[in-house]
Amino acid sequence: MIKKTLLLLALGTFASSAIAEDMEVVGNVQSKCVVTPDTAGVYGNPSPDKLDSDPASGGVDPIVRYDVIQASYYKAKITYPNAFSEAPALADVVNWTGDTATSQVSDTGMSGYDAAKIEYDNVTEFSLTVAGSTWFKTETLAEYGYGKAFPAGVYRAVVTAECIAI
Amino acid sequence: MLALLVYSCSSYSSEAVYGTTGNAASAGYNWVMTNVLPQQLGLSVNSVIYQYTTNKIAEDNMLVHVQNENARGPGYIFRETDDWSGLPGNTINKIVPVNMIDISYWGNGSIEVEGNGTVSDAGVYYSYQYIPCEDVQSDPTCPGYVDPTGASLVEQAIAVDTSSEEYIQNEIDRKANLKSQKEEEEREERQRVAKEKEEDIRDSLEVLLGLDLGASLQRAEDTLLHNALMATNYLPRSYFMAIKGGEYPDAEPLKDSKLPDSKRGLRVGLASELKHRQLVDLQYGNQPKEDQK
Repeated sequence: MIKKTLLLLALGTFASSAIAEDMEVVGNVQSKCVVTPDTAGVYGNPSPDKLDSDPASGGVDPIVRYDVIQASYYKAKITYPNAFSEAPALADVVNWTGDTATSQVSDTGMSGYDAAKIEYDNVTEFSLTVAGSTWFKTETLAEYGYGKAFPAGVYRAVVTAECIAI
Repeated sequence: MLALLVYSCSSYSSEAVYGTTGNAASAGYNWVMTNVLPQQLGLSVNSVIYQYTTNKIAEDNMLVHVQNENARGPGYIFRETDDWSGLPGNTINKIVPVNMIDISYWGNGSIEVEGNGTVSDAGVYYSYQYIPCEDVQSDPTCPGYVDPTGASLVEQAIAVDTSSEEYIQNEIDRKANLKSQKEEEEREERQRVAKEKEEDIRDSLEVLLGLDLGASLQRAEDTLLHNALMATNYLPRSYFMAIKGGEYPDAEPLKDSKLPDSKRGLRVGLASELKHRQLVDLQYGNQPKEDQK
């Protein structure tokens, strides 16, 4: 009996030395696409019923810069606003329009992005096929009701810029 | 804090200064680099930053060159070409590293367009760096700077308060020192001249008296002259005859006796005396006395 016990102990010791260990492998992936806000937008108020970022209307178009180190791995997805993030209480509907296009490029090849962009809803997508920096400018226009004046107050809206791996 | 301050002061001259020029193309698409880059010794350009907007039809061919001539040789030291052929116009914003090119290479710059299309709203900027005070004369604030015009000395002189007692006392002391120094120099000069004169006189006397250093020795010229005379047998033989020494007594000594006056001589003397008196009397207008004759 003692021997069994010893034998069991020996078997137990042998069994514990054969256990496998899990080894962790760690890797960090730095994004090769960086999105940087370049110019903050401002709404102009050319008429009581309009809030427009167009410089011709007294506004400033927001500009975002995409820096891509590796070409053809990412696409830019920019969404112009379709709602205010902050505004006085509004009793009527707001009609939203907008457009996004290249503002500046660091390579002449990027000048073809506009022709190849994809638009749907309030979203514009650009395939970033050239390494370098591209500045995208978004125009946003909000019209209140049917020729109705916006209530006084502060209005804020958000342009969303994303860099998505293809 | 103090240590940090001391460190920052001492390291002033060795820290590089980084900067970016203004828009070189602000006045046109051709520019002179000496008007753009700071004229600092050792300045080098790190990168060229430019932007412009092209106005063109997408289908047209268009090349835009942003360039700088090589100031130290043919060709260009910097030339970046953007090919807009078949592309719509846009605004380009570019940073081109140029790997620390010395200022001396940067010649005149320009934006050149080939093909159809125009360029507008151009901006060209140069990012540079240099170490200040590499040439200490480049900046009056550099340690070791020497004012070539001496203006600082004049300013220091002007800054002195000439009405202060300290200044007046210093001026008096300075003038007194100058006077005593001048007197001392004059005294030394007099002593030097007197000493030289004394030496000249002593030398001339020694030569005259044959006491100079070579007096005991026959001079070389004399020896040559002597030999020449001897060769021509010009000198009389008596020059070389020895004179016998000894005493040479008088041959006929005069005997002491009374020597009578010569009568003939007496008459001559008297006649001379009479003639002399006549001449004197004639001089004073007196007639010679007959009885005296």
